[in-house]
Amino acid sequence: MNYLNKDEILTQLEKISGRDFVSNKTGDLFIYSQDPGASESRPVDFVVLPKTVEEIQKIVKLANSEKIPLIPMGGGLTLSGLIIPVRGGIVLDLKRMNQILEINELNRYALLEPGVTTGMLKAYLSENYPELQPPIPDAPPSATIAGNMLIHGSGSLSQKYGCHSSMINGLEVVLPTGEIGKFGSCAVSEYWFSKGPIPDLIGLFTSAFGTMGIITKISIKLFPRPKFRDMIFGFTKGFSDLPKLMSKITFTELAEDIMIAKGDVPEAYKNFGMLMVYFAGNSKDEMEFKRKTIEKIFKDHKAQVVPLVGKARERLMAEPQYGAALAADWRKGGGFEYVGSFIPLEKIPEAIEKGTTISRKYGLLTSLLFRLIGRGHAVMFSVTFPFNRSDSKDMINTRKGLEDADKMILEIGGIPWKAELTGQKLILEKMDPNFKKLFNNIRNIFDPNGIMNPGNWEVQ
Amino acid sequence: MTSEVSQDWKSIVHRCFRCGYCKFTHSYSDFNCPSYKEYKFETYSTGGRMWLIYGLINNDLKWSQDLANVLYACPTCGNCTENCKFEKFKGFLVDIIEAARAEAFNNGFCPENQKFLLERTRNSNNYNPYGEKNSDNSELKKKYNLPEKAEWVYYIGCTSNYRQQDLRDATLRLLKKAGIDFTLIDEHCCTSPLIRTGQNEIVPDFINYNINQIRNAGASKVITSCAGCYRTLKKDYEKFGADLGFEVFHTGELIKKLLKEGKIKILSNYENIVTYHDPCHLGRHMDMYEVPRDIIKSIPGIKFIEMKRNRENAWCCGAGGGVKIGYPDWSVEISKERLEEAKETGATVLTSMCPFCRTNLSDANKKFNMGFEIIDLIELIDQLEIEVND
Ligand SMILES: Cc1cc2nc3c(=O)[nH]c(=O)nc-3n(C[C@H](O)[C@H](O)[C@H](O)COP(=O)(O)OP(=O)(O)OC[C@H]3O[C@@H](n4cnc5c(N)ncnc54)[C@H](O)[C@@H]3O)c2cc1C
Repeated sequence: MNYLNKDEILTQLEKISGRDFVSNKTGDLFIYSQDPGASESRPVDFVVLPKTVEEIQKIVKLANSEKIPLIPMGGGLTLSGLIIPVRGGIVLDLKRMNQILEINELNRYALLEPGVTTGMLKAYLSENYPELQPPIPDAPPSATIAGNMLIHGSGSLSQKYGCHSSMINGLEVVLPTGEIGKFGSCAVSEYWFSKGPIPDLIGLFTSAFGTMGIITKISIKLFPRPKFRDMIFGFTKGFSDLPKLMSKITFTELAEDIMIAKGDVPEAYKNFGMLMVYFAGNSKDEMEFKRKTIEKIFKDHKAQVVPLVGKARERLMAEPQYGAALAADWRKGGGFEYVGSFIPLEKIPEAIEKGTTISRKYGLLTSLLFRLIGRGHAVMFSVTFPFNRSDSKDMINTRKGLEDADKMILEIGGIPWKAELTGQKLILEKMDPNFKKLFNNIRNIFDPNGIMNPGNWEVQ
Repeated sequence: MTSEVSQDWKSIVHRCFRCGYCKFTHSYSDFNCPSYKEYKFETYSTGGRMWLIYGLINNDLKWSQDLANVLYACPTCGNCTENCKFEKFKGFLVDIIEAARAEAFNNGFCPENQKFLLERTRNSNNYNPYGEKNSDNSELKKKYNLPEKAEWVYYIGCTSNYRQQDLRDATLRLLKKAGIDFTLIDEHCCTSPLIRTGQNEIVPDFINYNINQIRNAGASKVITSCAGCYRTLKKDYEKFGADLGFEVFHTGELIKKLLKEGKIKILSNYENIVTYHDPCHLGRHMDMYEVPRDIIKSIPGIKFIEMKRNRENAWCCGAGGGVKIGYPDWSVEISKERLEEAKETGATVLTSMCPFCRTNLSDANKKFNMGFEIIDLIELIDQLEIEVND
């Protein structure tokens, strides 16, 4: 129940964050009621761009007293509508909180405000700490480090070091009641260097989609950046041998990133998987050794190595791989969404078969991608649905396709990743009832008024 | 000649994905879109604008002053075009914003400040956006002893003729010194400020007028020292369906050619630390990056240091796209950021090749007490001793 009317709430918000950083103007609400994915637009009441932790605390208190939903937003680029309010409310765009607070070179961590983008951190380290690199996704550079870490993101270091959520050392959070919580070593020490050794509550905030609080500081692990980086590109005919081939490569401990792409174009490549194995090293000899070792495994498994040059190589070597965004224009329509998921390695052939069937059913060019995570302990698998935003039928078709892909992934034993509302519902249906009950209880303790991104992970 | 730019943009505007590459520098080190950096709401990114425009076309939104203001709060610097990853679409971004501004104007939502541009320019006493009495340039022709007909026309442009006369005079002196066969015409505004702000009503007439004047002068080549006029004459006139029948050059191009051919040689030393600001209308809009640098490098004794963001990556001065007149305070703030970057180079002289950039950078220099000498490259050359060889 609201006690203040909208104008009064606007006034309160303006008092907290300043008039320039609060809006309920039609244009702003229009933009923030959508994301670049296929979700339908949903109404927003206010957009606020806070600058400080204190401002956020005040906004949280106001939201509690007025029972207004709060939706934290980084770059807003998950494509699955996670920052579009389900029940209206205030979108908290955190981009003004963009300070790199500390780079601890020796202890190899970065302490960041939540608005620091992946692009800016990467550029900052390249310029000031060229021997270190951050874990970043292939998302556009305005994706935030926090947003990506919080949703179990993955990128070019994930095969070697694990998914990005596992690289969080610590969090400062404005909890849904307005108190500040500290998690990880920062709860005990002035160093933000480790998750433990204390009970690990950081997991409560990952893949929570903003339902457990607003992260105001995040410490992440940084990694050495070897002098050289290169890739091996190739093809496999048929897909049944892929899990073993992938596994073999991971056993060498030589690859930084391993990806498989599967498409339908050109026709001749329909039964081929495209392999991309990235490796890095500090000397030419080391690189040569790694290349030869990995190429031998390709050969042993009858995979063909193809030298890459020119624009194709430049695109695949870029960090982030900007080519990932180009699917948005495949149907000349300004958008795509993919069902991402985590699946076990052994399921790659089945995922290819079923992902291809779904893509064809929806009249799409098949575009499947696999990225190994944590030396093959999991695989990120995605089915991409490009659409034409100006064609409402295409949008409906896409949403149906996404739902089918969610279902298929759950059937083969995987779990949709950064799932949109439909995907979340399907996951909850399959989820162990006791997990659900416990999760719901914890959530109610954290957020008694249900103000944090309600509608997401909603256990009925 | 058609009075409107092509309507095709309506069928492609939905193709913007709002991925946000357009907001950054090449290395992603910072936001390089002045509007997004200032206003911070997603609405003020180029993607935000594309989506608003699509919303308007689609009737999801209705025209309002607030929406029009978002479209106008952009110096159309072209950083978005430079960084957009969609090759088939990126070239249209600035055109789409300008075309949408024309729609805003037609719907009665052109902001008050920018309306002055049209009112002053269409006034038959002026024909320029500064509201100054029109100069037919006959005095200058007399002073410099210029013929009625010549191979070249020096198109002065309103900013140089009514505000930055030092640049006009330096250009005249240089052309004279170099023995170029040129003359002047009785100019109307090139219409850049009108096109940039979507006020296209009188644009075709002005284009016709200027083209006829140039033809009547018997010229096969036009030269200008103004980046805005250069872009407009060379790119926009054809977009509006005009058949020029003459070539268009920036003065810098001519100087570079004369230097290269040995027709002129700079003799005196210029012992200052200098940095160069790429005007958007010359750089990102027209791809002219090396001409000014080649000229600078031919100056004996000069110490030239680039700013961090240079060439395609340059930070805009904030004067273009109607921002100087529409948002005067913000406009100089944008220039302030440029001057701060110039300070990092250790330069004492900031040079450029656009009178509009010069005005705005000078305004910021004064307002924030930054202590630079800000000078157009043509003026800088004019100060030096030059040997002319036939
Ligand atoms: C072209 C393209 C390629 C992509 N490639 C990859 C890839 O390779 N790897 C990958 O992992 N992802 C990828 N993505 C998906 C996505 O863009 C990224 O994961 C991105 O990093 C998400 O970050 P964000 O800042 O956009 O998060 P947002 O979308 O803003 O937020 C994500 C979720 O976290 C919550 N949240 C954000 N900030 C906070 C906070 N401070 N406190 C509490 N909750 C918060 C939000 O409410 C939301 O639920 C890609 C996307 C695109 C468009």
